[in-house]
Amino acid sequence: MIDPYYLQQLAIGLSLGMTYALMAIGFTLIFGVLNVVNFAHGEIYTLGAFAGLVVISATAPPVVAVIFAVLAAGALAGFSLERLAFKPFRRFTDEASLKSRAMRESTLLSSLAVSIVAREALELLFGSQMRSAPAEYLINTPVRVGPVILVTGDFIIFGVAAVMLVGLQYLLTRTRAGLAIRAVSNNPLGAKYVGIDTDRTIILTFVVGSMMGAAAGILMGLYYGAVFPAMGFVPGIKAFVAMVMGGLSSIPGAVICALILGVSESMATTFVSSGWSDMVAYGFLILTLVFFPNGLFGARRERV
Amino acid sequence: MNVSDLTAPGQTPSGLTAPDRRRGWILPALVALAVFVALPAALAAFDRGYFYQIANLALIFVLLSASMHLVTGVAGLLHLGHAAFYGVGAYTAALMTSKLGLGFTVTLPASGLVAAAVAFLVALPTMRLVSIYFAVATLAIGQMLYLVMLNWVEFTKGPNGVIVTKGFELFGFGLSGRIAAYYTVAVVVTLCVVAIGRLSHSYYGNALRSIREDDQCADAMGVRTVRLKMEAFTLSAFFAGVAGALWAHMTGYISPGDFKFSESILILAMVVVGGLGSLPGAVIGALLLILLPEGLRGLGDFRNVMVGLVMFLSILLLPKGLLGEVSALGLVRRQFGAAWRRTAGGEGIGWR
Repeated sequence: MIDPYYLQQLAIGLSLGMTYALMAIGFTLIFGVLNVVNFAHGEIYTLGAFAGLVVISATAPPVVAVIFAVLAAGALAGFSLERLAFKPFRRFTDEASLKSRAMRESTLLSSLAVSIVAREALELLFGSQMRSAPAEYLINTPVRVGPVILVTGDFIIFGVAAVMLVGLQYLLTRTRAGLAIRAVSNNPLGAKYVGIDTDRTIILTFVVGSMMGAAAGILMGLYYGAVFPAMGFVPGIKAFVAMVMGGLSSIPGAVICALILGVSESMATTFVSSGWSDMVAYGFLILTLVFFPNGLFGARRERV
Repeated sequence: MNVSDLTAPGQTPSGLTAPDRRRGWILPALVALAVFVALPAALAAFDRGYFYQIANLALIFVLLSASMHLVTGVAGLLHLGHAAFYGVGAYTAALMTSKLGLGFTVTLPASGLVAAAVAFLVALPTMRLVSIYFAVATLAIGQMLYLVMLNWVEFTKGPNGVIVTKGFELFGFGLSGRIAAYYTVAVVVTLCVVAIGRLSHSYYGNALRSIREDDQCADAMGVRTVRLKMEAFTLSAFFAGVAGALWAHMTGYISPGDFKFSESILILAMVVVGGLGSLPGAVIGALLLILLPEGLRGLGDFRNVMVGLVMFLSILLLPKGLLGEVSALGLVRRQFGAAWRRTAGGEGIGWR
């Protein structure tokens, strides 16, 4: 019989991994299409949490209304992010500039700059201290399952992550829009030649990815009971690590790696103090980059 | 960057006839005059500790930005963990001072060497990565070093930071006054920036630029890309470490918060705003992003937004930066000499 302590740690790790997975799904979706890292994804997450908090504290609506408000905020944020930080750098659509390093790096930096502006603006508006939603909205009522104690949030997050993953797989493989997304991610120029509106497809990807990011943000805010402007940074890095480990464009791979990451972090706290547990993620990242540069579940890539 | 375009044979850039073959001296003299005479005179006239601090801070960030220019601008390696090496240097200086009682004369070179050694060790496994994979790896390395500073409480005192008991000194000769401290920082930064200038405007710099433009092609031409990348990375960490030692002795107190990810981004923003690949641009970018927020102090917290806005607008509107690489190279070549050689016929043959 396994020590209940380890089972408890395993459960904590899985729920932690789920929270990373929520964020990694949207992150990977956007990376897969544009092949650039969207540094502002963490801020979308924060924005989602704040949008939810504002709606809750203003009108105290039912939960469904909060979810819709957050999704709308996420969609709007994703749309404006794409217009602001990515569109201006897609002026040229020939093959050379689409593949060029300069374009990738300028969008990398522009999304970084937008994320700085967004985070600092949130800090100006709301202050940098933690805020919390009213207790009746929080999703951390303990539930006892056999020897381990979970909270309601764990089930909700698991459910949401599963729905997101399945919904996204459905979108990507069974609908025309999803087909267009996959075509653009595979070969933007080729997609253009066969009559796909790449611009609209990219916007759609950003909107969907950012809606997921925003939903993850408010879920985490209610799960931990803390919303603050810098909250997106650490999950953003973890999602990034999960994405790289999973092979960059594989969404199921990113989810599995997010779970591995969460479990190994919570197991690590058994042996070292919790401050060091972040080291696990970075260590995994370096090891993956060095030994499995294609990621654990990724397709072969030319060069890394 | 095709440097030879700038001096096609038989074509003299306008306004540059005979004197451009000799080293220009006006601009270097003016810069030296500003840094070593005008600015200290102005600082002494105002005599406020705050101004000295801003001047020193600006100089330290000029060095950080210049060192990042070497790795990100010239060698084209997107480095997202530069502040961590700055931190390694600062912690080396602080801990050597507080635990071993050593002075600035020893800690300055030691900080640079320790930072370079750490950079060399982490570069060994990661330097074969390219583009975004490299950026991710440096991000992870920077965060790991930051976590070490934050969590290894017995050694680094963790979040409480370290108090540096000694100020600047040279071979036991105290340099404790405000002016003396300013001159120490200014001399060290100037020497380092000149060294970085010689590295990036030379045959060696050309090799680094070739890696940036096309590393596979450079590799095929016999440039040892991995080795050169490692050298650029290690050298830039050395200069960042030197900047860290200056910072530690200048402020007298360091804590991990000074070296977190956002500082790396600030340094990156300096290089990008100034112009990737342009050393004068990196210097201007550093001055702008340090002095602008100070000038905007009246706007309160809005200045943090300003950093992001300046970075975003400069990427959008000035993709080449304030002083783009082509014009910067021309400027450096004309005004700072920078070892630009010609054949007897007056044909430019490049940096040597």
